[in-house]
Amino acid sequence: MALIDELKTLNEKTQKLIEDAKNSDELDKVRVAVLGKQGELTAYLRNMGAVAKEERAKVGKAVNEARKSVEGALEQKMSALKAQELEDSISASAVDVTLPGRAQVVGTRHLISKITEEISEVFLGLGYTVVEGPEVETDYYNFEALNAPKDHPSRSMQDTFYIDSETLLRTQTSGVQVHEMERGKLPIYIIAPGKVYRRDVADPSHLPQFTQIEGLVVGKGITFGDLKGTLEFFCKKVFGEDRTTRFRAHYFPFTEPSAEVDVSCGICGGSGCRFCKGTGWSEILGCGMVDPNVLKMSGIDPEVYSGFAFGVGVERVACLKYNVPDLRMLVQGDMRFLNQF
Amino acid sequence: MKISLKWIDDYVKIDDSLEGLCDKLDLTGTGVEEITKLGEGFDKIVTAKIESKKPHPDSDHMFVTMVDVGEDEPLQIVCGAQNFEEGDHVVTALIGAVLQGEFKIKKSKLRGVNSYGMNCSEEELGLAEKSDGIMILPEDAPIGVPIAEYLCLSDTVIDTEITPNRPDCLSVVGCAREIAAIYDKDFYNPLDDMAAKLKTVPMDLPNVDIEDEERCPRYTARLIRGVKIGPSPKWLAERVTALGTRSINNVVDVTNYILYLFGQPLHTFDADKLEGDRNIIVRAANDGEKFTTLDGEERELNSDMTVIATRYHAIALAGVMGGQNSEIDENTTNVLLETATFSPAHTSRTSRKLGLISESSMRYERRVDDIDIDKISAAAAALIVEVAGGEASELVDAWPIKSKPHNLNFRYERFVRMMGADIPRDFVVSSLSRLGCKVDKDLSVETPTFRPDLEREIDLYEEVLRLWGMDKVESTLPSSSARVGHRSYEQRLRGFVNGVLTASGLNETVTYSFAEDGDEKSIELLNPMNAEQKYMRRSILPGLLKSVSYNINHGVENVALYEIGKVFKVGTEREKVSAVLSGKPHVDAWNKKAESFDFFDAKGIVENLLDKLKVQKIKFKPIEHELLQPGRAAEVLSKGTSIGIIGEVHPKICTAYEIDKSVACFELDMKALISCSSEFKDFDDIPVYPGVTIDVAFVVDDGVTDEIMKQRIRSAGGKLLYDVSLFDVYEDEKALGAGKKSLAYSLEYRDPDRTLTRDDVDAVHNKLINKVCASTGAEVRS
Repeated sequence: MALIDELKTLNEKTQKLIEDAKNSDELDKVRVAVLGKQGELTAYLRNMGAVAKEERAKVGKAVNEARKSVEGALEQKMSALKAQELEDSISASAVDVTLPGRAQVVGTRHLISKITEEISEVFLGLGYTVVEGPEVETDYYNFEALNAPKDHPSRSMQDTFYIDSETLLRTQTSGVQVHEMERGKLPIYIIAPGKVYRRDVADPSHLPQFTQIEGLVVGKGITFGDLKGTLEFFCKKVFGEDRTTRFRAHYFPFTEPSAEVDVSCGICGGSGCRFCKGTGWSEILGCGMVDPNVLKMSGIDPEVYSGFAFGVGVERVACLKYNVPDLRMLVQGDMRFLNQF
Repeated sequence: MKISLKWIDDYVKIDDSLEGLCDKLDLTGTGVEEITKLGEGFDKIVTAKIESKKPHPDSDHMFVTMVDVGEDEPLQIVCGAQNFEEGDHVVTALIGAVLQGEFKIKKSKLRGVNSYGMNCSEEELGLAEKSDGIMILPEDAPIGVPIAEYLCLSDTVIDTEITPNRPDCLSVVGCAREIAAIYDKDFYNPLDDMAAKLKTVPMDLPNVDIEDEERCPRYTARLIRGVKIGPSPKWLAERVTALGTRSINNVVDVTNYILYLFGQPLHTFDADKLEGDRNIIVRAANDGEKFTTLDGEERELNSDMTVIATRYHAIALAGVMGGQNSEIDENTTNVLLETATFSPAHTSRTSRKLGLISESSMRYERRVDDIDIDKISAAAAALIVEVAGGEASELVDAWPIKSKPHNLNFRYERFVRMMGADIPRDFVVSSLSRLGCKVDKDLSVETPTFRPDLEREIDLYEEVLRLWGMDKVESTLPSSSARVGHRSYEQRLRGFVNGVLTASGLNETVTYSFAEDGDEKSIELLNPMNAEQKYMRRSILPGLLKSVSYNINHGVENVALYEIGKVFKVGTEREKVSAVLSGKPHVDAWNKKAESFDFFDAKGIVENLLDKLKVQKIKFKPIEHELLQPGRAAEVLSKGTSIGIIGEVHPKICTAYEIDKSVACFELDMKALISCSSEFKDFDDIPVYPGVTIDVAFVVDDGVTDEIMKQRIRSAGGKLLYDVSLFDVYEDEKALGAGKKSLAYSLEYRDPDRTLTRDDVDAVHNKLINKVCASTGAEVRS
């Protein structure tokens, strides 16, 4: 049976070639040479017609066995080679994972905006609405409606930028409160963030333009205790739960009684240090019960309604919270400063 | 207001530590600003006695003295003074002493003779402005006692911030009353006893004529005849020095003493310098009237200011400062003492207008009480007679407007409810009484006239609350009906803009709202800080360009900034969002090179913004703009409404800002942006059937814009054309011909309801190409 022997030899030779194939390309060449259209084994199959009838079954069986054997070996070898190749390519593509990532540029919000939003969030959570108003304001809304008539010692030409005798750059965002009270929708729970202007020479602790957030609550049965509770909550949320507050009696024309609020020093925790000038406290805001004159001027009956108001300097919070040493950094636009927040 | 604790001690006994007192003052509304311990600068300065005095062997004006300073051995001290003899008691600074915080005493050699200290003059000790020779103490002065102890200079002075509503606390007596009220202590007001000391003699008295009562509710005058101007007694000099004024002479020191003690400004005229009949007229100044104040400045007055005058001319600027023409000097013997009160408003305006703030004006502009003026005048006159001799007249008293106390009803229940604190009724009564109010059983309250701030019931609430202690009030949150806090649509959209811009790599900044340049539409400030901040800005961009320049000057080359803020014009203010881009988005990295910013970076960010805000029908129109480089400047429009500008900053402008590279920028109007945005846009179906994409390059004339091409392509493409995008712009004179360019587009065809066949697409595409070429003169590049 020469054919059977030939097939045996062919199988053995092919097995050897498969065994020796170094990569999937070489192996594929072997497959084509043996099993392809023109392949050696395929030729046997094609020539079955020429085989003597009585031997056909035998030869056919041998061809099929050879084919199966070759196919099996091919498949086995192929999966081994693929696995090897995958492994090689993985180890070839390893990187130094400590190299920097590809630059993705993301911008930042300004520190003052960030703090303004943070404070706004606290009060939005307490059910306050955020309102805004004009920066160029009339004398009436900035001063008179807030119980500070002309010649009042609390207002000084020195502190205010005037445009003409009746128009000025607002020195406080309190004017927004008056506009809101005049709308007459009670109760009022608002905060008014915005830029304000005072004639101060720019230095490490002053800017002629800065940011204030004023709050106003007017309703029935609003108490001084409510004012205290609200501002204590605010200080804890903004400065940390461990901080305490104290209320010092003070004077503002538009509130009565009035107070200034200190928060315990974040550096020494209240024992006194250089930062808080030994007092253990940092002044943070001014507040008080809305003066009945202010309510009356806006058409609200102080016998029925009471309220409180407060004003926070955002730059002041920035200094206390982020230790900004010089307020002028806030208006220079230095990328190295802005990038940090 | 400076509070001398030694002085206060005469009127109220404080049994608390200094720290405790300052805390109490702080919490009840009198802010403590500074604490000064006097007598601390007098270390190693002692009383001494001259044992011997011999001429200096090598000098004709110096002496070699042996001085007993209370130690075992006397000290040899070389002294240049001429006014002393052996046996005189003097003040000696020992080695190590520092005079007035500056001059350190060391062992020295004066013309060959060792000197171990210094005999001091009052001037050298800072106790007098000028002195002749060394300070000679009385014969009974002890030896070797620290001078601070001997002169009773040891004192603690608390500098307090008195709020504008508390004129009463601008006095020692007022502060003492306040402290007594805080601690619930007895308080002694010396006024009645001091006034009772005055004995008057009959004299010819001047008339006082007040022309405008509103300006001067009460004016009193008193003559004091035969005074002798000289140095003040020690106790008087000490008191006025403790509060920060120098001792000048006995009469002036008395007026300052009374000013500090009762908060009542006084003025003394040299009666012999008043020409004519010495009659006093309180009148409005004439517009343009010239007057030389005590400080030697000639000032021009106006009719809003008030003067004290004789029939010939002004002698004082009412409430602010006296005049040079009637000033007390060392030869004065007859004094006219003014004790008066003037209108706060006029005083305040006068003081501001002239830039002249004095101890008097500061008190008058907060209001000086008129009720006790007669007693204060008597107390002052008695003291002048005591320290300067002479005799005083009766009082001439013009009192057209008399202050009346307020009668207020204190509704206890309302008070407790509004404070949210259970403050006992007894405490209300006692605290108000301590402050000088008369309080009835039914809590009807009569307020004292020296507290002009107590005119309404609410003012009394504050008094009781602050003395009770704000810290004792329980903290609560408002418990009223449910409410919802929210931001407006505009505020939310602004937040969205911030989000897109920071995601685009821009850093938010804040610049000044002021501007250096302006025109007739600009808002100009009446009182700017400086010439660079004279106007309100019309645009944010100049401020941002300054920041670019600041960064470059500080070595930062890559700048990407934006700001959202107001710009101003007469009658309006508008919110803008502006940005500048200069340099590169980031430094070149090992795996990513950055390209310099240009027009298209700014435009890309604006397109992002418009896309995210769902702004429709956007157009970019070339414009001319003073800030922008021609040919790289565009206006952004939506449905014909202008939203803002984009461009590269004109090189000339960059040079003016010292920026040596190009800057891309934009400035958009927030309101326009908001009104062109759509909060809601219907959901677009996600395609189900595959599309077919065909690329085509058109060769067109240079003048044909991308906008025109897209328009024509879209209108020619019909419903099946799903998307058009430009992917290449190519210019090559040789290949395309002069004045030509190639624009390559990727066209995506799609039918939402079925899979397109090649034939369907070919038919539409060929039609599209024919139409586009016909309408634009384009040729398809093969």
